[in-house]
Amino acid sequence: MFRLTRWLAPTATARAHCDLPCGVYDPEQARIEAESCFRIMEKYQANADETFRARAIGIKEERAELVKHHLDVLWHDYFKPEHLEAVPNLHELFWNANKQVSKVKASVDPADGRKLLDLINDVDAAWKATGGPGKTRVAGRPG
Amino acid sequence: MRPAIEPGDWLLVDPTPIHWQRRGSIVVFREPDGDALAVKRVAAGPGDRVPFADGYLELADDEAWLMSDASAELTAAAGFGEPIDSRRYGPVPVDLLVGRAWFRYAPFRRIGRIGRIGHGPRLSDGIGPAARGNGRV
Repeated sequence: MFRLTRWLAPTATARAHCDLPCGVYDPEQARIEAESCFRIMEKYQANADETFRARAIGIKEERAELVKHHLDVLWHDYFKPEHLEAVPNLHELFWNANKQVSKVKASVDPADGRKLLDLINDVDAAWKATGGPGKTRVAGRPG
Repeated sequence: MRPAIEPGDWLLVDPTPIHWQRRGSIVVFREPDGDALAVKRVAAGPGDRVPFADGYLELADDEAWLMSDASAELTAAAGFGEPIDSRRYGPVPVDLLVGRAWFRYAPFRRIGRIGRIGHGPRLSDGIGPAARGNGRV
């Protein structure tokens, strides 16, 4: 019987899964990584050593990828269609911010890094306008 | 995919289809954003229009819009977040189709054909504008 059951048992498992979000979101995660990009761009400009510069570009690439990840999590998981009432330009804002991350990846000009920080400020304002600090942090945003 | 499919159901999957099945069919496919094997229902097929943000997406000749049966409200009531389907990863190309789930052969008390729902899931049910894919807005 056991052998028959084993013979009949499926050989693959398909999922029909859902998210299991922790519900904690804060644009600060994206901002810290974006600040890393900005500082690395400044350091790149201040140092002509080839090895230093190569490493700086590699680190900036990693950090920029993290910015994209954190922005995407906010966009897909935190923001909901009803938030468009409070922030009508929400999608354009995230579109521009993610485009700017791509620019930061390809650039070593700190001005591009600064522009990304400005866009993350706008994302932060959208998060606050939709009640983010009270809803998504355990005790509001510290500080 | 409750109540159509319960966790632990054993399904027979017809691997022969080379085109997306009719709306309402349950299909097994590879998720576009992770390659995991998944099971969802065809909500819209090639050439169909899917409500999206303030407009619509028109699916290409090889694309389908796949959705969970459960609504976001139902999954939230069970303690989960939103269903992970085309609202998350956008239209699914036919290359990722594995087959059509058509029969449940275990558990014993639930043996039977897996039916097609006439119109499939409600397309307007919470299609988030954040969903992105290869379709065109």
